[in-house]
Amino acid sequence: MATDRRFILLCTAEVLVVAAGNIVAALILQMIVLAAFIEYRRGFATFAAATIAFSGVIAVSSTVSFPLLALAGALGCGYLALLLQDYRLARWAGGEA
Amino acid sequence: MFRPTWKTGGIAALALALTAVALPLANPAAALAAGSLGLFLLWRGWRFERDLAIVAASLAVEREVEPKLLRQGAMASIRVRADLSAPPGLTVRVRDLPPAVATGDPPLSPPGTVATYTVWLMAPGGTTFGGVIVEASDAYFSRDLICRHYNAPHLQVFPGGSWGVGRGRGVRGEDTRVDRKAALAGQDVRGFRPYRSGDDPRHVDWKVTARRGTLYVREIAGLEGGIPLIAVDLPTTLNGDLTTLARFTMTVYSAAEEVINTHGNCSLLIITSGEVVRFLPGAQDIREVVAILGSLAPVEPHAPLYRASGSAVLMARMRRPAIGAGPEERAYHERLSDIISAFAAENPVPFTVAIREALSRANAVEIRLYSLLVTGDRSHLVQLANEAKSQKMRVVLKAPVGASPLPGIDAMEVL
Repeated sequence: MATDRRFILLCTAEVLVVAAGNIVAALILQMIVLAAFIEYRRGFATFAAATIAFSGVIAVSSTVSFPLLALAGALGCGYLALLLQDYRLARWAGGEA
Repeated sequence: MFRPTWKTGGIAALALALTAVALPLANPAAALAAGSLGLFLLWRGWRFERDLAIVAASLAVEREVEPKLLRQGAMASIRVRADLSAPPGLTVRVRDLPPAVATGDPPLSPPGTVATYTVWLMAPGGTTFGGVIVEASDAYFSRDLICRHYNAPHLQVFPGGSWGVGRGRGVRGEDTRVDRKAALAGQDVRGFRPYRSGDDPRHVDWKVTARRGTLYVREIAGLEGGIPLIAVDLPTTLNGDLTTLARFTMTVYSAAEEVINTHGNCSLLIITSGEVVRFLPGAQDIREVVAILGSLAPVEPHAPLYRASGSAVLMARMRRPAIGAGPEERAYHERLSDIISAFAAENPVPFTVAIREALSRANAVEIRLYSLLVTGDRSHLVQLANEAKSQKMRVVLKAPVGASPLPGIDAMEVL
């Protein structure tokens, strides 16, 4: 149940992030919340860099729909890359590659 | 394909909800929260795949199968241990994949521990293990990765229709799935003879006894000669054909098992060209025989024998008058006389001494000589047959179809 409580705290914290209004404050709060949400933080800097870049795009953009659409496209490409990596790993482990 | 956990689904739903808030309200903070959660999931997926690749690369599997010689329907015990390095946060468990022809339920075990399970091998032929399944999971994703590299050892399952089929006992007396029809068929009866004191009462044939008015017993095929000695002529080369050797070994094993079951013990003599490889007198436990047969492999002899026949045969030929023979025969006769007169006082070859001692220790009345009769020197078999005849033993050669008989052999049967 500790995990459930942690997820509820994440949802609550996201309300606080939205309520922050300021993009910088929201970014700092979001980093703290997600860093607290996970147990092992190996590679967290990579995620943090991507999130900072995304917040920069939002800050310079006059609208939120374009950054969200661009991010959706990027996430789709990333998901395909993950599928490809998983496929290659399965082939290698299965002795086919 | 990696699977998301409930937590991943929850975060994705939260991201969609934040997007639904951000778009109509044009709220940058909500858009940042939604986008960062999407990036978070992508990062966790990438992290999971990296960790899984590390696990797969570090995997090492050790597997042991008992017994070494496997028959169709027999039970085999598998001991498997998988070692790997799992990154922190990743939970890994490993499940073995038994051969496709086997039925069994391998347990799921954490790495570094030995898992033991049993399988029944249901079909004959060569087979390998299917590998192992690595079940990895973290808080966000899980994946079952089949690693087929680790399929050793290669197994050779022999048909259950050879010797002792349907006896209801496996290699170590354990449970065996028995072909009921084969079990009812019984052993071949070669003939009948009057009952002698000491005969097994179970071998009395009551129909013949009733007809003849006196006790008659059945003579089972291959057992009419009393306690036999199993002699194995280990081939010196099979050109890497391990399947043939495995089949040959299995046949010998079945014969030894049959002798132990019938007579209570079995002597096993393994020879190769000019050498006694192993001698096991009076083995009462089939596991001793299995241990020896399981380690057999074609060997390169240290000292090939190349003796045409026994010294008694040569002496007899030397005494035969050369009068009337051709010049080549006379020359051979002279050289043979010189050689024998020069070396008759020398000790006999160590091989002859070794098999003479082995035969006397075996206390057998019959030798069953198993040989593939591969091309090359066969003089050691002739030596063995001569020594057996000198000790009044019957020699039965078990050889492949079409093999030419050897001197001194009483009977020849197809292997």
